[in-house]
Amino acid sequence: MKTKLNNLPYLCLFILASFPLFIAAQEQPTYLVGGTFHIGNGEVVSDAHLLMMDGKILELSTRFDNQIKNAKIVDVKGKHIYPGIIALNNIMGLNEIDAVRATRDYYEVGAFNPNVRSAIAYNTDSKILPTALFNGIVYTQAVPQGGQISGSSSLFYTKGWNWEDAMVLEDDGVHLNYPDLSASNDAPDLANNAQKQVDALVLFLQEANQFCALAKPPVFNLRFEAMRKVFAGKTNLYVHVGSAKGMLSALALIKDKYPTIKLVFVGAEEAYQITSTLSLYRIPVVLTAIHRLPMYSHEAYDLPYQLASILLDSGIQVAIAQAGSWESRNIMFHAGTAVAYGMDKEKALSCITLQPAKILGIANRIGSLEIGKEATIVISEGDILDMKSSKISTVYIKGEQVEINDVQQALNKKYRQKFKLKE
Amino acid sequence: MRQCFLIIFFFWANLNFAQQTFPTNGPSNHQLQRFALAHATVWTDPEHVITDALLLIENGKLVYVGAFKNVPAGYTLIDQKGRVVYPAFIDLCSDYGVKWESKNSLRNTHGFYSAKRGAFHWNEAIRAEEKAAAYFSPDEKQKAAYLTAGFGITLSAIQDGICRGSSVLVNTGSSIPQEAILTEEATMNWSFNKGSSTVDYPNSAMGSVALIRQTFYDAKWIKTEQESNISLTSLAKNQYFPVLFEAENKWAVLRAAKIANEFAAKNWIIKGNGDEYQRSKELAAMGLPMVIPVNFPKPYDVEDPFDANRVSLADLMHWEYAPSNLASVNAAKIPFSITMKGCEDGQAFLKNIRLAVQQGLPVTAALKALTETPAKLIGAAAICGSIREGMPAYLIVCDKPIFEKEARVLVHWNGSHHIPVNFETDLPVTGVFELQSELPYQQIQLTQQGNKLTGKLIGADTLEMTVSREAGTYQLSWMPNKKAALHCTMRLAFVQQNNLLQASGLATWTEGRTLPVLLKHLEQPLAKELLKQDSVALIVPQIRFPFVEFGSTKMPESEEVIFKGATVWTNTSNGIIGNHDVHIKSGKIIAIGKNLTSATAKIIDAKGLHLTNGIIDEHSHLAIYRGVNECTQAITAEVRIGDVIQPEDINIYRQLAGGVIGAQLLHGSCNPVGGQSALVKLRWGQSAEEMKIKGADGFIKFALGENVKQSGGGPGLRYPQTRMGVEQIYMDAFNRALLYEAELKNNPTACRKDLELESLLEIIRKKRFISCHSYVQSEINMLMHVANQFGFKVNTFTHILEGYKVADKMKAHGVAASTFADWWAYKYEVMDAIPYNGAILNDMGVVTAINSDDAEMGRRLNQEAAKMIKYGNLSEEAAWKMVTLNPAKMLHIDHLTGSIESGKDADLVVWNNNPLSIYAKPLYTFVDGICYFSVASDLKLRAEVQQERNRIVQKMIALKQQGVKTQKQISIQDENYHCEDEN
Repeated sequence: MKTKLNNLPYLCLFILASFPLFIAAQEQPTYLVGGTFHIGNGEVVSDAHLLMMDGKILELSTRFDNQIKNAKIVDVKGKHIYPGIIALNNIMGLNEIDAVRATRDYYEVGAFNPNVRSAIAYNTDSKILPTALFNGIVYTQAVPQGGQISGSSSLFYTKGWNWEDAMVLEDDGVHLNYPDLSASNDAPDLANNAQKQVDALVLFLQEANQFCALAKPPVFNLRFEAMRKVFAGKTNLYVHVGSAKGMLSALALIKDKYPTIKLVFVGAEEAYQITSTLSLYRIPVVLTAIHRLPMYSHEAYDLPYQLASILLDSGIQVAIAQAGSWESRNIMFHAGTAVAYGMDKEKALSCITLQPAKILGIANRIGSLEIGKEATIVISEGDILDMKSSKISTVYIKGEQVEINDVQQALNKKYRQKFKLKE
Repeated sequence: MRQCFLIIFFFWANLNFAQQTFPTNGPSNHQLQRFALAHATVWTDPEHVITDALLLIENGKLVYVGAFKNVPAGYTLIDQKGRVVYPAFIDLCSDYGVKWESKNSLRNTHGFYSAKRGAFHWNEAIRAEEKAAAYFSPDEKQKAAYLTAGFGITLSAIQDGICRGSSVLVNTGSSIPQEAILTEEATMNWSFNKGSSTVDYPNSAMGSVALIRQTFYDAKWIKTEQESNISLTSLAKNQYFPVLFEAENKWAVLRAAKIANEFAAKNWIIKGNGDEYQRSKELAAMGLPMVIPVNFPKPYDVEDPFDANRVSLADLMHWEYAPSNLASVNAAKIPFSITMKGCEDGQAFLKNIRLAVQQGLPVTAALKALTETPAKLIGAAAICGSIREGMPAYLIVCDKPIFEKEARVLVHWNGSHHIPVNFETDLPVTGVFELQSELPYQQIQLTQQGNKLTGKLIGADTLEMTVSREAGTYQLSWMPNKKAALHCTMRLAFVQQNNLLQASGLATWTEGRTLPVLLKHLEQPLAKELLKQDSVALIVPQIRFPFVEFGSTKMPESEEVIFKGATVWTNTSNGIIGNHDVHIKSGKIIAIGKNLTSATAKIIDAKGLHLTNGIIDEHSHLAIYRGVNECTQAITAEVRIGDVIQPEDINIYRQLAGGVIGAQLLHGSCNPVGGQSALVKLRWGQSAEEMKIKGADGFIKFALGENVKQSGGGPGLRYPQTRMGVEQIYMDAFNRALLYEAELKNNPTACRKDLELESLLEIIRKKRFISCHSYVQSEINMLMHVANQFGFKVNTFTHILEGYKVADKMKAHGVAASTFADWWAYKYEVMDAIPYNGAILNDMGVVTAINSDDAEMGRRLNQEAAKMIKYGNLSEEAAWKMVTLNPAKMLHIDHLTGSIESGKDADLVVWNNNPLSIYAKPLYTFVDGICYFSVASDLKLRAEVQQERNRIVQKMIALKQQGVKTQKQISIQDENYHCEDEN
C-alpha cells in the first residue's frame, strides 16, 4: 500500500474530493445551521441559520421555520462563520517565486504605466493562491508594482479556471508610488531626485487631465486614456505613500487639483501624525502590514499594532493587508494582532472584509454576510483571527463549496504516511 | 676637567646646530639665534606656571626657563608682558602634510588578492610597509589651521586602510620637510575601515577584526622566514612602536581594546569619536589611553516637525552632551589627549575646547591632554609637550589664557623660528591714551576684540574710531560730523620710551588741515573686562543605558519577586499548571508552589495571567554592527559575531516587549562556512560583552544551497556555484584542518597560527557546533554524510524547510531542526516548503524549534509557534517548547534556561493571555531576574522619550531662530539583518 501511494502523483490524493475544484454555479439551496455568524459589519449573530441560494445570501436569521424544500442542511454548530476574506494590495497570481525573474509578472518598464493591467496576467494556476484560500482568503487584489505609476489592479477570486472566470472586479484602480520626500541636505541627489519625480508626476497628471477632458482627443495615448476613469472618480487612485509629509503633498498636488479623484492611501505608516487631515478629506487607508517594526526608534514598540485602531477611532476607513505574495495568507493574523493591542475583534474582521469591499466600491456585492450579497462564506473551527484556533473547514464561493486542500496538504499527507505518523 | 669638557662639548654642539644636507644658494646666512622672551606668564607644564618669566632660547633650545632676571648680552629681547606661553599643542590624529593617495580609482578592480604588485600583504588593506614620512611635505593651508589652534606638532598618518603604516611626527611651523620631521616613524596606525582597498575581504566589521588578529599573528610568525612579505616584515620590525588605533565609536574602541588585550599589548592608543561619556565606565576599565576629538555637532534643523521625527533621541542627546564629553572622560580617569580631527578649522577647535572647559573640563586637564599626555604616549616627552631647559623650544604665545574666550595664539616658536599666526602688534597698544593735539578731544581708548582693534575718541562727546594697521603704523579714522559725512584720520607710530608707551603722528582734520598728534599711555584696560566670559549653564549628562530611546537612566537590577497565582507553563513533566506561585531571587528561580511567601519579595499578582519561560530565538541577526555576512570567501570560520555585537539596537527592546529573552546571533548564509555565532541574553543596557551568555558553547554558521552558490546574482566567479562544489569545499576544509592539527603537534613553534583552521578544527573536535542554513533534502543529507566522515555530528539544521522529507535520517543523525512556521516561495529551493514541516519533525522525535531570522517576526515568535497547532495539530505544550525549551536544548543552554524549575535562570515572561493566542501580549519580561520590560515601565519611558525629545528640539529651534547655524540630520536606523542580506 505504502509503495503504491508513493508512486502516485500527490495531486491524486484530493481528486477524490466530492465537491468541485473550481467555481461552479450553485445548484442546490443550502442552509448553514447553528454556529456563530460574524457578519463583517461589526455584528455577531449566534445560533442562527444562513440560506444560500443562486449564489447569494437569501436569509440570515435566528428563527428557523419557513424551510425551503430540497435545501441542503449543513450543521455548523460550534463553528464560526465569516464572509470571504479580502486581501488587498498584493501580488498573488502575478508572482510565483520571488527570486526567479521568469516567474515575476508585476513590474513593467517605465515610470508611468497606468495602462498596464494585472487583469490579464493573473495566473489562476499559481501554487500560492491555494495556500491563501486554505486560510479563508477568497478575494485578492492583484497589484502591479514599481515605477511612478505601476498600473491598474483588479480583484479576483483565489480560485478559478482562468482570469476571466476568477475576475471579481476588473480595473478597480490605478496605483501610484509617491516620491520619497524624506531626503535631506546630506543626500542632495536623493532630494533632487524626489523633486524631479514630483515635477514629472505633476506634469503627467496635468497632461492626462487635459487629455481626458476631451471625449475624443485628437491624439492617441494609451497612458493618458487609462487615467480617464480615475479622473472621473469611477475607479480609485491608490497612492502608495508612507510618510506624513508625502501624504500631505499628495493631498495638495492631487486631491486639491483634481477633486473628483478618489484617493486611497496605501502603506501610510505615518498616518497617525495626520489623522485629522485624513478624516477631514475622508481618505481611506490600506495598511500594508500590522506585523512590521516601527519606523523610528522613538516610536512605541506597539505603534504598528495600534495604527489601525488609531485611524479607525479617528473616523478613517481602514483596510488591513499584507503586501507580497505568499505572505498574504496571514492577513487575518495581522488583524488579530490589532485586536491584541486594543481593537475590537469584529472591527478587526471588518478591516479584512467589509472595509476593503467598501474601498473597492463593491460593498453591495461582497464583504459581509448580509442579505443579497454574494454567498462567499468561510467556516472556521474556531476564531479565524487567532492561529491557535483558525482552522478553515469549508469555503463556499457563490454558494458552492470549493476544495481548499492543495499541494501543501498533499505533501503533508504523503510524508506522514511515509513515516507512519498520525495525520 | 669635567667642566672643561662640558664647555667644549657645548661649544661644538652650538656650532654644529645649523648643519644641513642641502646646499645654499650663495653665502651662508648663519644667525645668532638667541632670543629672550621676557615677562610672560609661562605654563611649563600643566601643573606649573611662572608669572613674569624669562625664557632664553639659543639655537632652538631652551637654555633658561625661570623667573625674570637680567637678560645676558647677545639676546634679542622680546617683551611678552601680559602674554601667556604654553608648550605647543600636539595632535596625535592628523593627516597634516601627508600626500598619500590611493591609486585604486584607476584600477577599479575587485578580487581575492591585492591589486598592488610586489611581495606585500595579500590584502591591500594591510599597508604596514607604508611610511607617512615618505609622503610628507608641509601644506600651507592645513598649516594655518593647526597653527591657529595652537598645534605646533602633529603625528601625521595615512588615513586609508586597516593597517596604515607608520606615522611621522612633525612640527607644523616649518616649511621644509627635512626640518619639519621630528621622528620619521612614531606609531603604527590602524583602523577597522579597509578604505580604498580593492580586495573584497573584509566586507564586514567582524571581517576587519579577524584580519587584524590574523595579521598580528602573522607578524609574529613571519620571523620564521617561511615567506617573504614586506608588509609583515615591516610590521614585525615596528612592533615596538605604539599602535594608534582609530575607532569610529565607543563600541569600536572597546573592540580595539579587546584585540590589544589578546596580544597583551600595553602600548595601544585608541582614538574615539567623542561619545565616550556614554560608556565611560567600560572605557576606563580597558586601561588604554585615548585620543578624543572635540567635533561637536551643530544643532539640527528641526523646525519642520516631520524632519524632527527623523532625528533619533540619541542624536539629540549627543548634540547636547558632546561638549561635556571631555569632562566625563577626565572624571572617569581615562588617560586622554585631544585631537583637532573633525573640526572645521583652528578657530572651531578653540571654540569647542573652550566649550569643553565651560562644561567642566579643568584647564589643567585640557592643557595636559594637549601637551604632556600626547608627548608621553608616543615617547616624545624629551622633545615636546613641556617647557624645560635643554628641550627644543616648541612654544605658543597667546594674548591671554588660551582657554578664555577670544584668546588667540599669536606666535608659534618652532625651535629658533617664530611664526606669527594672528594679527599681531609688536606692542600691546590697547588702553587709554592722553591725546595731546589741537583736536578738541582729550583721550583715545583702544580696545582689542578678537582680531580687531577698535577705538574711541573721548572729549565733550565720544566718537567711534575704526583702526587699521599697515607696516607697523596705525590708522585711526572717525567721523566728527555724520551728517556732513566728514572723514578724519590720524596715522600713528607707537614707540615705547622710558617704560611709557606713546604714539606720535599726524591727523587730518576738517578742511584738509593736518595736525601733529601725540598719545601718551595712561593705563592698561581693566583685566576683568577682557576676561569676561559668557555664563553658560553646566549640562550634566543624563546617560541612558543604552544611550537610545527606551534606555533607562539607571541600570535595572535583579529583583526578588513572587509571581502569585499564575498559570505556569513549566516545560517540565509538570506541564501547564494553574494557580501556582513562582519565587525568583538573585537572578534564579528558587521555588515553585502554592502560597509562597517572603518578607523581602515584591509580589506580582498573576491571577488569570500566564507565566512562561521567555522565548529563545535560535536564529537571529539582531544587534549586529556593520554587516551580518562576510561574503567574500567561501570559508570565513575566523570571523566572529561576538566581535560586533551592537548592544544599543532598538530591536533588542522590541524583542523584550515580545517576550524574547535570548538569541543566537548568527552570521549570514552567504558562504558554506560563515562566522562564529554569539549566544546572548537580551540584557538591554548592558555592554556587548555583558550580553553574551558566559560559558556557552561555541557555535558556527554553515550554509547550503542557493545562497552559497550565489544564485541571486553576482559574477558567478566564487567557488562554489553548485551543490556539488559545496560538498568539496567542506571536504577540503576539514582535511586541511586535520593537516593543521598534525602540523601544530609536530612543529608547534614554526606553525603559523591560522584562525580559520582553528575554528574548523574545533568542529571536528566537538568544541564548536554547527547551525546550518539548509533547505532541500539532498543537501541536508550531504552535510550529515560529511560530518559522519569526520566523526562529528551536525548540531542544528536551521530553516530546514524540507526537513520533513528526511526527518528519519535527521532523527538517526541526532541533529536538531530550527525552522520557520510557514515561510516559502521566496526562492526556488523553498517551493516544497510546507507549514506542516515543524510538526512532522517534532512528531518524528527531532528536537524542533521555530525561529525568526528577522527582528520583526522575532517579537511574535509565540504566534509562529501557535501555527504548529493550526497546521500540525501539535499540543499547546509541544508548540510552546518550540520557542523556549527546544531552542535552549539545541544551543546547549537548557541547563540554564528554557523551563521553569528551581535553580534555573529567572528568564520569565508574564502574559495577559494564553501565550500561544494571538491576543497574548507580554506584561513583564525578566532576564536573570531583572525586569527589562514591563508595560508600566514602558509607558513611563514613552513619556520620558517624548519629553526629552521635545525639550531638545525646542532648544534647537530657539538657536536656529537666534541665527545659529544648523544642520539637516536623518538619524541612521538600526539595521534589520536577515541571513540573505549581502552584507
